[in-house]
Amino acid sequence: MTLRLAGRQGRADAPAPSADQAGQADPDGPADPGQAGRVSRAGHGGQGVKGGVPFGLGGWLRWGWRQLTSMRTALVLLFLLALASIPGSVLPQEGIDPAAVSQYYAAHPALAPLLARLSGFDVFGAPWFAAIYLLLFTSLAGCVLPRAYRMARSARQPPPKAPRHIGRLPQATSFAAPAAPDQALGSAAGFLTKRRFRVRTGEGWVSAEKGYLHEVGNLLFHVALLGLLASVALGGLFGYKANKLLVEHQTFANTPAGLDVFRPGRLVTATDLQPFSITLRSFSARYVETGPQRGQPLEYNARLSYSASYGGRLRSYDLQVNHPLNVDGVQVFLIGHGYAPEFKVTDGTGRVVFDQPVPFIPLEQSGLTSAGVIKVPGASPRELGFAGVFLPTEVVTPAGTLASVFPAAWIPRVSLVSYAGNLGMNGGQPQSVYSLDTRHMHQLDVAPRPLAPGQSIVLPHGLGTLTFTGYVQWASLAITYDPGQMPALISALTALAGLILSFLVRRRRLFVRAVAGDAGGAVVEFGGLTRSDAAGGFEAEFAELAGEIMQTVGGFPAGAGQAAAGQVGDGGHAGGAASADDEVVLAEQEAASDDDQVALAGQRESE
Amino acid sequence: MTRPYSSARRSGRPAHAVRALLAGSAVLVLSACEGGAIGANTPVSSGQSFVGASYSSTYFSPGSRPMAPDIHAKTLTGQKFSLAAERGDVVVLNFWGSWCSPCRREAPALAALATYFRKDPVRFVGDNVLDYTASALAFERQFNVGYPSLNDQSEQVVLAFHSTVPPNAIPSTLVIDRTGHIAARVVGEASFQGLRALILKILAEKS
Repeated sequence: MTLRLAGRQGRADAPAPSADQAGQADPDGPADPGQAGRVSRAGHGGQGVKGGVPFGLGGWLRWGWRQLTSMRTALVLLFLLALASIPGSVLPQEGIDPAAVSQYYAAHPALAPLLARLSGFDVFGAPWFAAIYLLLFTSLAGCVLPRAYRMARSARQPPPKAPRHIGRLPQATSFAAPAAPDQALGSAAGFLTKRRFRVRTGEGWVSAEKGYLHEVGNLLFHVALLGLLASVALGGLFGYKANKLLVEHQTFANTPAGLDVFRPGRLVTATDLQPFSITLRSFSARYVETGPQRGQPLEYNARLSYSASYGGRLRSYDLQVNHPLNVDGVQVFLIGHGYAPEFKVTDGTGRVVFDQPVPFIPLEQSGLTSAGVIKVPGASPRELGFAGVFLPTEVVTPAGTLASVFPAAWIPRVSLVSYAGNLGMNGGQPQSVYSLDTRHMHQLDVAPRPLAPGQSIVLPHGLGTLTFTGYVQWASLAITYDPGQMPALISALTALAGLILSFLVRRRRLFVRAVAGDAGGAVVEFGGLTRSDAAGGFEAEFAELAGEIMQTVGGFPAGAGQAAAGQVGDGGHAGGAASADDEVVLAEQEAASDDDQVALAGQRESE
Repeated sequence: MTRPYSSARRSGRPAHAVRALLAGSAVLVLSACEGGAIGANTPVSSGQSFVGASYSSTYFSPGSRPMAPDIHAKTLTGQKFSLAAERGDVVVLNFWGSWCSPCRREAPALAALATYFRKDPVRFVGDNVLDYTASALAFERQFNVGYPSLNDQSEQVVLAFHSTVPPNAIPSTLVIDRTGHIAARVVGEASFQGLRALILKILAEKS
């Protein structure tokens, strides 16, 4: 960014046509933090836009940009982002729990499609969510980048020329010294240099500055903030997340085809997926068995074996709730579990056409009553379908209905409704494995009777037999890859360090002027100011330095600071009446107190 | 990151929110934001997020063909199979599952193509993904599939193609030329005409 641009922005309050003028006024710009101070307010506090009436397209664009990059807008966007996340935690989300979404559809058939159209089940992938996020991103970048640039500049700047009226500074004192003015200034400069101030000298004055680490901290904070945003973008572009429901003894590979739900970042292709395979060897759960907490889970453990690459070495891992598996930078979390009853179906021709576990989805957590469907498209003469529930610990309620009273499989039963006809699976239209399309099927007349393991349903008309052979469990895994995670952590820590630094270190300036005294020797004025004195203590530091300087110069007090300063001041001005410039300067300094420019002395230089 | 299990779904969301932020930022190109279509066509997808594999057919010119990995696997009926042993023939490798509706729809075309090319040096091989043997064999009987299929319940054959031309969805079909290089890929439901044209073209090449 050029200074010229900064200058234009600096005159943000002015109508747009005067922007060029502002640009031309820039020769005094480079050393003019006052202008920069104004930019920063326009960028951060939103003051710059007040009363600004934009002219023309360029004016509107500038006005829009200022609005977008104002702190107020950023806060509104942040609030909107938080607000927009609420449906994401109230509604079931496709990416986290597709089964819950299915349940929601079943429970609210009218509302669900409407919500789906508004991305209610994929809030964080919704265009409107992205819009908020992108605007926030732009707003922050637009605010932080120019600010970081200004801080870098400000941290490199030499101390400004000493102001003419040192007595007007927040901290000021004066004393008489026996030495000549030049000599007094020389020893003062030497002293300040020794105290590790950055010192600049001129005709009759010395200025010194210390605490540049304050600016460095600020800079770190702002750059780290951008780093954080970039890390987040990195994760979004190159990361992915996926879900997989894995039945005991089943293996899956981390390929797009093998994952149930796969949400790749924009720049992720199939070959980017880390080529690991995971087998669920067994799953175990322990529950509280007695007392009011009965049925609450105590522990889940998914015993995995995995290999990091095709044909790679097999390793074991006990996947637990707070212990994700890390394969090749990819995190695998255990996010759910359930039962997969096993069925064997013999069709009308006497062939076994189905023999496998079928994952059932829990409908409730206290008894893990689970629902599922069995589709047997390979059965002949008619395709067969079954829908029903799995009850881990079955009881018959007084009302005569079936229920499960405990999540562990103590009395496992399935209760199924049987259908025959056309499953509609040969039309090429993808189907959910959790729903049965019975439009072209008819229900078979089978006495409803819960099946215990080993029991069968013999279908009428010689259509076949279904046997409930047993059950296994399944675990659902969330797979996330976020290459931005580590950079984000580093950025966050850097931001914190920068913030602490900028809080702890204060930037302060000291000024010394010396003129020949009436009775020989010199009258030395010593003043100082600081900003962002959050921790306090500058007053004490100033008093101490003043004492030491007086000692160094060999001076002695010459009246109480402020009054004396007025008298020794520049003869061009009447003592009490400040020049218009000084008024501006001091006002500027107050106004700027919410940003990091020490406007006072800098403004002086353009005189 | 911690996820208390009892409230796994609930507590998953803050973390998810962060990840979603990431996803959001990815939309810098301002394109519409939709979930990945590839891979949704799997056994345990939920009904609503179900997106059919969008069809694509790609032919690779002879100079730009990745080498197919060597594959050693057992067929559904227990026979050994090695892809390298088929070198010299054109191999049509179809990835399918009995649970997959588009696979059921393309099955007649594939079975017919296998018959059509029975006198040519073209080998048809299926790769039965994420399936169970009883269902898979029932599928083969039902559609009169005359060629063998590999038992790839654990997706290792799919994984072997990971760094070459991965079959991005089920169904997918790869055509491997006589030198063992991948010459074409069809993602989604293959058609008789389209796949026949590809095979004829690759068959006509001098090896």
